Amino acid sequence: MNLLTRIALILGFLGHYPAYILAYIIETLIVLIFAVVVVAGMVYFFRKYMARVQMRIGPNRVGKYGVLQVMADGLKLIQKESIMPQGRDDLPYKVAPLIIFIALIMGFVFIPYGPLAWLGTLTVTHSDVSLVIMFALIAIMPIGELLSGIVSNNKYAVLGSLRGVAKDISFEVPMMLSVLAIVMMASATKGISPLDLNGIVQAQNIPFAILEPLGFFVFLISMAARASYSPFDMGESDSELVTGNTTEYSGLRFGMFYLGLFGTIFLGSMILSTMYLGGYNGPFVDDLGFIWLLIKTMVIVVISLTIWLSMPRVRIDKFVTFGWKYLLPISFINLILTGFLVLGGIS
Amino acid sequence: MEYDEKSRYIELNMGPQHPSTHGVLRLRLTLDGETVKKVEPIIGYLHRNAEKICELDFYCDALIYFDRMDYVGAMNMEVGYLEAAEKLLNIEPPERVKWIRVIMAELNRIASHLVWAGAFGLDLGMLTPFFYVFEEREKILNLFTEICGSRQETNYMSIGGVYQDFNDKIIFRIREFLDEFPKKLEEVYNLFIKNDIFISRTKDIGILEPEIALSYGVTGPMLRASGIPYDVRKDEPYLVYDRVNFTVPISKKKDVLARFIVRFEEMRQSVKIVKQALDKLPDGPFFNPKAKKSLMIRLRGEGDVYARTESTKGEFGVYMVGDGSVKPYRVHVRSPAFKNLSVLPYLSKDVLIADMVAISGSIDLVFGEVDR
Repeated sequence: MNLLTRIALILGFLGHYPAYILAYIIETLIVLIFAVVVVAGMVYFFRKYMARVQMRIGPNRVGKYGVLQVMADGLKLIQKESIMPQGRDDLPYKVAPLIIFIALIMGFVFIPYGPLAWLGTLTVTHSDVSLVIMFALIAIMPIGELLSGIVSNNKYAVLGSLRGVAKDISFEVPMMLSVLAIVMMASATKGISPLDLNGIVQAQNIPFAILEPLGFFVFLISMAARASYSPFDMGESDSELVTGNTTEYSGLRFGMFYLGLFGTIFLGSMILSTMYLGGYNGPFVDDLGFIWLLIKTMVIVVISLTIWLSMPRVRIDKFVTFGWKYLLPISFINLILTGFLVLGGIS
Repeated sequence: MEYDEKSRYIELNMGPQHPSTHGVLRLRLTLDGETVKKVEPIIGYLHRNAEKICELDFYCDALIYFDRMDYVGAMNMEVGYLEAAEKLLNIEPPERVKWIRVIMAELNRIASHLVWAGAFGLDLGMLTPFFYVFEEREKILNLFTEICGSRQETNYMSIGGVYQDFNDKIIFRIREFLDEFPKKLEEVYNLFIKNDIFISRTKDIGILEPEIALSYGVTGPMLRASGIPYDVRKDEPYLVYDRVNFTVPISKKKDVLARFIVRFEEMRQSVKIVKQALDKLPDGPFFNPKAKKSLMIRLRGEGDVYARTESTKGEFGVYMVGDGSVKPYRVHVRSPAFKNLSVLPYLSKDVLIADMVAISGSIDLVFGEVDR
């Protein structure tokens, strides 16, 4: 029994269909709140981790061990006056951070969370094409990045968003090719929908990271570039272009970009562990899949943060070269190898 | 469609408040997309008229304006000033003072190069090494606090001597620092040099041919990274540099990476110099009685002198004219960072913005000194 059915049973007095619709809405809300909390927690975790790496203490004033620091910062950002540049294109300027933030938060709805003790399966969607929707949402984010740069009437922002777009087109094709390899792999398993993330998890008797190390590598780099942290932060490149496309943003809108960065890291790690590391599958316990998913995600997050903190920025032309000359051929090779694997019946 | 030549380029103003321009450098860039077509450095935002103010002060008081020139390597500035002032006033510092000055100058050279390495990492987008180098620098500044009473603008040396003598505890603590520092230095060095992205960002970027460097008056690690072993400490020794054993590191690669490696090698040489100086530190007075406190403001100098020293940035020259009164008639400073900055427009022609930032970071600019 999953969480949705449980909620629907509690709401059973409303009749069958209203109860289920309401249950869907409630569970989606739960996931959205979970997403926001997780992203805020991610900011705290990142700041503490960064401080440890850099031999500092990190936030330790607000609340015990500074755990409420993120809330204090958030409140500050909400209260702040939003300074907007003259000569901006008003509507896109205001919509751009929302595009990134909403696309990010919506992404959390389509993750298969797996079972958690007596609550049952937490997964919200039972869509057959959740993978497609997920990557559609991820593909929307660059639009926000581009818009924010070109409408804010600032040369740094324009340069930053141009770099961002150059980066996006050079990693998205390899990324989608490695996703295609996953779908091919999953389609070899009978009885599941290969375009459903939940089905992909079920198809992984052996984690796909072992079967497709090349695809795992391409996807890891692509998610890092999507989240645009160092070494792939050419769009922001804070020592050259001030902060790139977000230069003219302040207050809550800046906060959305900021949360968007950390949220993308977390969402990307979650997708990665769902698609390549077996998601909520795990040994020893059958009904604690959610915990396994979180553990796998945190491992990926820590790896990402360590990369972030130890790497300088790649020059944009070198990244474009890297994307088209190395990532793309690698992902094609991966696709071919996957074809052989599927033909050979290994999956 | 009519083609407008002017609208082809973006004109971008970097600074004076910008994260990559150390201090208050302002750069007017002409960009063709990402490519830098022209760079025009605009300086003067930190101009404090130090040379002129020196004319209004006694010889002993003008020193503090030198502290504030290259505030990252203040000891070297003091040595530079005192080389000129003591020559003009005919006051010879005692032997012990010379060794103490060498120790302090070299410790400060290490601190200055460390700051440079951290800031250079930030320019390239590396956050972490910044904190590692600042921890080491903090240890040096703690030593300075114990010896001089202040951290950065120390005002430690004075005409004919130093403010306080070294005691055994200080010597012990400096030795303690020198014992563990090389290990940390290698750690920081490896953080940079074992990183492929760092190498790809610095190798073959900003190549400075030796002839160009000489014609622009570039000195210091910049010149040595271009393959010319010119170091005032070796070529025209002052203080006791002729009595310590060290090598002048050079590199023939001429690029940004070479400047990085040369600076780190210089730090290792500085450690060597300080160790030798501590061993050879003689006993004796720590100031010349001719310049003790009550007599200091009555010192009179006549004639003109020029003294050059090797500061952390390059050849630091002080030209001083005395007219027989208690104040200098004219003080002029040959600032190495200013001369090194002048080569930036040449180096950053037709490079990408990211490379331009790396090149300007490799120059080691301290704006207190460029603008004076």
